[in-house]
Amino acid sequence: MKTEIHFTLNGESIEHEVEVNKTLLKMIREDFDLTGAKEGCGAGECGACTVIMDGRAVNACLVLAVEAEGCDLLTIEGLSGDQNELDPLQSAFIENAALQCGYCTPGMIMTAKALLNENPHPTETEIKAGISGNLCRCTGYKKIIEAIQSVADQNKA
Amino acid sequence: MMKPFEYFRPTSLKEALALLNTYGEEATLLNGGTDLIVRMREGHSSPKAVIDIKHIEMLRKIKVTDSEITIGACVLLNDVGSHPVIRERVPFLAQAALSVGSKQVRNRATCIGNICNASPLADTATPLLALDAEVEIYGEAGVKRIPLKDFFVFVRKTVLKQNEIVTSISFNTNKDAKGIFEKMSRRKEVDLSTVCGTVFRGKDGYRVSMGAVAPTPIRLYKTEAYLDAHDLTEDVIQSACEVAVNEVSPISDIRASKAYRQELVHLILKHALSEWL
Amino acid sequence: MKFVGKSVKRVDGVKKVTGTLKYVDDIKLSRMLYAAVKRSPHAHANIISINVEKARALKGVKEIITGDQFERRGGLYLEDKNFLAVGKARYRGEGVAAVCAETEEIAQNAVDLIEVEYEVLPAVTNAKEGMKPEAPLVHPDLGDYHWAPVFFPKPGTNISNHYKLRKGDAPEIFKEAEFVVENNFYVPHVQHVPIETHTAIAQMDADGYLTVWASCQSPYAVRQALSAAFDIPLNKLRVLSPAVGGGFGSKAGTTLEGIIIPFAMHAKGRPVKLTYSRQDEFENAYVRQGLHAAIKTAVNKEGKILAVQNEFIWDGGAYTEYGVNIAKAAGYASAGPYDIDNVWTDSYCVYTNHPVGGPYRGFGMSEIHFGIEQNLDIIAEKLGITPVEIRKINGMKPGGTTGTGEVVTVSGLMECLDQVVEDIKFYERSEPSSPTKVRGKGIACGWKAPSMPNNAASSAIIKLNEDGTAHLLVSAQDIGQGSDTVMTQIAAEVLSISPEKITIKTGDTDHTPYEWQTVASRITYSAGRAVYEACHDAMDQLLDLSQIKLGIFKRDLELRDGYVVSKIYPDKKVSISELALGLNFEDGSAIHGPIIGRGSFIPPNIRNADKKTGLGDHPVVFWTYGVQGVEVEVDLETGQTKVLKVASCFDVGRVVNPQLLEGQIEGAIVQGLGTALFEELMLKEGKVLNPSFVDYKIPTADDMPEMIIKFVENPEETGPFGARGVAEPAMVPSAPAIANAIYDATGIRLNTMPMTAEKVLAAMQAK
Repeated sequence: MKTEIHFTLNGESIEHEVEVNKTLLKMIREDFDLTGAKEGCGAGECGACTVIMDGRAVNACLVLAVEAEGCDLLTIEGLSGDQNELDPLQSAFIENAALQCGYCTPGMIMTAKALLNENPHPTETEIKAGISGNLCRCTGYKKIIEAIQSVADQNKA
Repeated sequence: MMKPFEYFRPTSLKEALALLNTYGEEATLLNGGTDLIVRMREGHSSPKAVIDIKHIEMLRKIKVTDSEITIGACVLLNDVGSHPVIRERVPFLAQAALSVGSKQVRNRATCIGNICNASPLADTATPLLALDAEVEIYGEAGVKRIPLKDFFVFVRKTVLKQNEIVTSISFNTNKDAKGIFEKMSRRKEVDLSTVCGTVFRGKDGYRVSMGAVAPTPIRLYKTEAYLDAHDLTEDVIQSACEVAVNEVSPISDIRASKAYRQELVHLILKHALSEWL
Repeated sequence: MKFVGKSVKRVDGVKKVTGTLKYVDDIKLSRMLYAAVKRSPHAHANIISINVEKARALKGVKEIITGDQFERRGGLYLEDKNFLAVGKARYRGEGVAAVCAETEEIAQNAVDLIEVEYEVLPAVTNAKEGMKPEAPLVHPDLGDYHWAPVFFPKPGTNISNHYKLRKGDAPEIFKEAEFVVENNFYVPHVQHVPIETHTAIAQMDADGYLTVWASCQSPYAVRQALSAAFDIPLNKLRVLSPAVGGGFGSKAGTTLEGIIIPFAMHAKGRPVKLTYSRQDEFENAYVRQGLHAAIKTAVNKEGKILAVQNEFIWDGGAYTEYGVNIAKAAGYASAGPYDIDNVWTDSYCVYTNHPVGGPYRGFGMSEIHFGIEQNLDIIAEKLGITPVEIRKINGMKPGGTTGTGEVVTVSGLMECLDQVVEDIKFYERSEPSSPTKVRGKGIACGWKAPSMPNNAASSAIIKLNEDGTAHLLVSAQDIGQGSDTVMTQIAAEVLSISPEKITIKTGDTDHTPYEWQTVASRITYSAGRAVYEACHDAMDQLLDLSQIKLGIFKRDLELRDGYVVSKIYPDKKVSISELALGLNFEDGSAIHGPIIGRGSFIPPNIRNADKKTGLGDHPVVFWTYGVQGVEVEVDLETGQTKVLKVASCFDVGRVVNPQLLEGQIEGAIVQGLGTALFEELMLKEGKVLNPSFVDYKIPTADDMPEMIIKFVENPEETGPFGARGVAEPAMVPSAPAIANAIYDATGIRLNTMPMTAEKVLAAMQAK
């Protein structure tokens, strides 16, 4: 069974018919080919599917697509500018080598983005707690925290 | 994979109730969904009708008076945790709300959802039990309030009938009252409680509640009575902890043994009471 | 050097931070079909019958297969495995049938309709029990299986490999030794937990050409295994690994590819996909096998270790995959990074009805060092010397001999030890954060050699473009470790062009050249050396042409910033772009044609060890040595351990990219921390009790300690610019260093991982 929903996706107004039993993650990956958000567990435990919904980081695997009605959605694909210029967080992740296999990276960056929007000058402890819903098995987190910290420092300057 | 269902987005309680009546046992309410969607995916829940109550405006508010706070059914855990009045008057509830899951989960999950799931280890249940909170329930007969302590029946079971909706939870606040929440878990961030608990001291005495030590989050009445009858000393704390350990009935499971959970009950109570020595 | 030794930014960075890199699960092909697997609910059971009629009747079901249709066994080292169970299921979760359908949902529904009748058999759920003569046999036909001759299965038992090492005369030494210390350790099953689960797509063209997209570390090894299993010639089989979302060994071999290929063969060109859920991943992907270790050590009063006797019993699970080689690698490394004259080791890989043991980062080494390094601290304390002293006395120095009798020429172990002792301030105490907490420090050494066949080969091709840029082709897979960047740096260094001018392509058996496997910390070393050779080959061609063009002897020419330049007269030069397609003469003729450099590499002179004694003068390519020091704080009330600080130092030969190298060590430390404190695949009667992140906890950012990462550089002479591997060795000392620090803090010694709060508290209370 499908139902029509209206929402904004990376700045674009969307009208879309979607199966009601589809998660938001499946919808953005399958219907819109935005595959930056990944399914790492399907249970909201790993954060690889993190997108920003009305300004808040959410696990797209724990949201029904139909719940996006009226929402403003931002995925990793919407983060860089029209000319492919990177968001400062994306640049900082590269600069700090804050990624390895890259599978957790889009979700991690989206969580960090929401965190910095909410709190432009987080402490290291706040960063650690803020990204603890995003599991990374490769990096040991140190360089991720440094990357986020570097953007927070830019915010200060 | 989720089985197909019909999805409804009522904008009033009345409309929601009508849908519950129409679909009976085959209907389920969708709030934050962080638990329900996982259960549906895993096949533990296969409702025919999913009724999303988040568009009922009145359920999304936190109401504050001089002596009472009311948290609407659809208020997010992060919003409970960051609400200035909650943080000021009942910081232990804010802390408990922020100890649930991850930031992302708390951006969807609600306090009432945490309660209605009736998990024995619901993190927000122990502060709310200690606050003598009351659950407001809307149904055919109108609105009723019942004490939270009477709300839980068993693991994942509450007194809520199929055609009833929890609309809010309320509790009195008092400047002189103090509460301490502590959560013990295997991993500090994003983990279920091995044991969690709240110790509360108001003008009418102590209230102690614990999670993950019985089929539901519980109040420890014997411990409270013991504390009410004694002035706080190191020895009294020790004895109170012993009473508490005997009052709980935790199980052994993959997260912890019964004995370790008893240790944690002891510690949570001791830590809180020691603050007030 | 211009590029080697510099923190060149990841060449795959932009694609990864923008989420535009396509992993296998992101690939969408038209008319895709989906597979799902029916799995055994029993750890050990004969399959009496499988009724697929109801499932077949379901609309949208294309095909159903059962194991008996594919009886040919496969396996990298010991051929004991089918893609679906044949005759009996040997672990809970083993596939017994599979469905191919129009949608994932239909496939899953069909799986639920398959009816399987089992005869439940007694299960082997403990490797030590499984070794006993009366134990039920997991593979009664073991004697009929094929295996590589360097392994020693014992038909009629559950032992899939018995590795022996006999150096000197340990039994004699034990008779007379002043001190003999004996300790037992247990390391449970853990999982790799890549954030990307296993996934694959297979598609067969009308002319029988099969393409497989797999999230795999080793496309060539997967091609070989699939070719053998399905009788497809290698020129008709293409394996692509477009990107890998973490491997750590779990994607070294084949996992689910073999299940979808039979479907693809009958799907008339339609692609078939199978993706593991996280639960599948926990229950059905490879695990790090459990280890029961008994270590007996003879030592004199000065602290010199005279002899060790080890018994390692590996819980290999239902099939061996890598298990037999893990037992072997652990066996030949069993002396640890110590110079010991008498070593007696028996390392057994044992079949059990548990999930299948596979290679996990530093296989065998993390597990045995948990015992070796704690044992050393126990001995030191008995003798009244420090953990540092006992390691100084016995640690491997150049001129020492390994457990297999190999004379060591390069070892920076002592330098690493000094560095770590300094960085962790080993002899100083810091104040705990609360009166109910205590702090302690611990150190551990570690070593590892690439555990691979002697002839594990690499190759590379470099193609020069007419604008002076280049394409580098290798099949070393960047699974996150940064090999794409490191290979590019090596090429850039040799060719003297900037890394931005080089595009690296990997992971396509049709278009990128042979690589044995991306495992064993061998890529920087081996593939890097092939790249080095390929670029030298291209350079050689460029210099050949330049000496004609410039009239200058080749020996006086070099590559510099995109030009071939005279070393003597720097203004005499020709750009490599001018030579990229060959050398043109004034009369319009030309010679040579495009510059394509070719590099092949096999580690030199690696010879089999003696079958009876395990001794050999050069059985492995190199050893990587390192040390970690840890400071922990233990909560005396709850037993919870917080790792505060880790100092690490490894001898890496040559640092190619400091930033990426730090990343390898940091990741390894936190993974090691996870195994030390949280991780255990809990098994009961063969059932995984915690197949989700809810109850299988890996570290979060909050668990990360402060980390001080240092390196020493004693070059590996056969490596590119002297580099040797370190990605796996970095995890080896992490867990035992934490165990030693917990002891230092609390006086309790836990002989099992993970050292959970509950276990620590119980041990403190029992003391």
